[in-house]
Amino acid sequence: MAGTALPRSEAGLGDRQFALAEFLKAASGADAVEITRLELLGGGAIQENWGIDASFDGGRLVGPQRLVLRTDAATGVPSSIGRVQEFAVLQAAFAAEVTVPEPLFVCADKAVLGKPFFVMRRISGSAAGRPITLDPTLEAARPGLAERLGRELARLQRVCPPRADLGFLPAYDGPAGQIGEFRAYLDRHPNPRPVLEWALRWAATHLPDPLQPVLCHRDFRTGNYLLDGTRLTAILDWEFAGWGDPDEDIGWLCCKGWRFGRLDREAGGIAARAPFYRGYEAESGRRLDPERVKFWEVVANIRWAVIAMQQSDRFQIGGARSLSTAITGRRATECELELLMLLDPEGIAAHA
Amino acid sequence: MRDLPASLDLLSLARELLLDELGPLLPPERRRDAHLIATAIAIALREARGAGWQGEIEQALAEFYAEAAPHPDPLPACGERESVGARPLAPFTGRGRDPRAAWEGEGLLRRFAGDLRNGAFETSPSRAAAARAILWRLTIEKLREGNPQFLAANGFRDTGRQGTGRSRRK
Repeated sequence: MAGTALPRSEAGLGDRQFALAEFLKAASGADAVEITRLELLGGGAIQENWGIDASFDGGRLVGPQRLVLRTDAATGVPSSIGRVQEFAVLQAAFAAEVTVPEPLFVCADKAVLGKPFFVMRRISGSAAGRPITLDPTLEAARPGLAERLGRELARLQRVCPPRADLGFLPAYDGPAGQIGEFRAYLDRHPNPRPVLEWALRWAATHLPDPLQPVLCHRDFRTGNYLLDGTRLTAILDWEFAGWGDPDEDIGWLCCKGWRFGRLDREAGGIAARAPFYRGYEAESGRRLDPERVKFWEVVANIRWAVIAMQQSDRFQIGGARSLSTAITGRRATECELELLMLLDPEGIAAHA
Repeated sequence: MRDLPASLDLLSLARELLLDELGPLLPPERRRDAHLIATAIAIALREARGAGWQGEIEQALAEFYAEAAPHPDPLPACGERESVGARPLAPFTGRGRDPRAAWEGEGLLRRFAGDLRNGAFETSPSRAAAARAILWRLTIEKLREGNPQFLAANGFRDTGRQGTGRSRRK
């Protein structure tokens, strides 16, 4: 049984609601599923997230449930893994006791919704970056939040290759491969980016000693975790996950692009680095090397610049009609300023 | 001869109307879109009023290369010289402005980018410093147009070459 009288916000999946209800019924072993609400959730820059309120009669999920369906948007970015793969990563993180929404069902059959998707529990809270970094009522809680994020990241890094369930993730061969990919992208891009080339040269000539690869979130930052009040309720958006260096996610969270108006708070705009590092080191038992973190922060800024350019490519080349997506390309220059500040600190005084 | 008011003045007025009068009438979930539109208008205004810095960068690059002997660059770590943008570009199919319709000095900028990739100036501290100075200048000028608030937040003065023309804020 499928629901009726859905709000207008379901446009896009609304014509597939019956198929979706049938899928949920079969996947959960229910006798019947009624979808009472289906709404497109905000915030997904690359993927679509749909909130589902549904009532399950029997099976694995009995009674009213609040769920999220995650599927592809019309255009994407190249480094995003597929939704079926993202579901497997989410399962691995959930099993490692990282705070994530419980992954429930996955569907690779395009006959259901026209594209692959997965379903997870809907968790309360907000991921909006600016309230998290700027809301004065969160002031006292922020250092503890930073420490908690460090612990969460250390838990995630207990997932190491080889893993049969994550066999689709490419083997990790160090940052040189990423540097090559960034250069290949710049080769294809019509606008030369000398600052990125200069920073890539620095990275290529300052490669850190390798560490045992771990599962990296690759978008572990403010804006991608949910806070309910002062409580961390979920880490979201696993579409860029892959095997990588343990310091890669550290550098990403500390990257200036994710400080949301609090540039002085170097751990994700919420705190100094110390509590974040403390939580990570306590949970992982590994002491962080500032020089290694600096390397990965440089790579993070290069990567964010390339992602920003790829976002505007979705408009410029792919034809996506989204102002938000198109204007993101402008942020690449913010990353370039940060690269100059990181790698040429003497130049700051001369140009400030 | 175009009619008055000038398009930039109209655009500036339109931005004020959007932010001050229309924005507050929008439902909260659409206000970010209004701010994005206002940001796009502000960038367009600053770009239109800030023409000139690209010529200055082009001049700086021309002088930079005029001072140097050809190809002082050491070979990169991989053992052979790389090039930037040597491959043919994919056909432009988007609906925005073709990004390849670029400014005249882009050839020099592309050469500069390629030389930086190859570490061309690393054996000469003075050349390396001069190259970094151009990188700083290029980046600061781009941000003056694209996001002067970010420059200010990082402690850089905005010399105010371009404004949005917005004279009041409620």
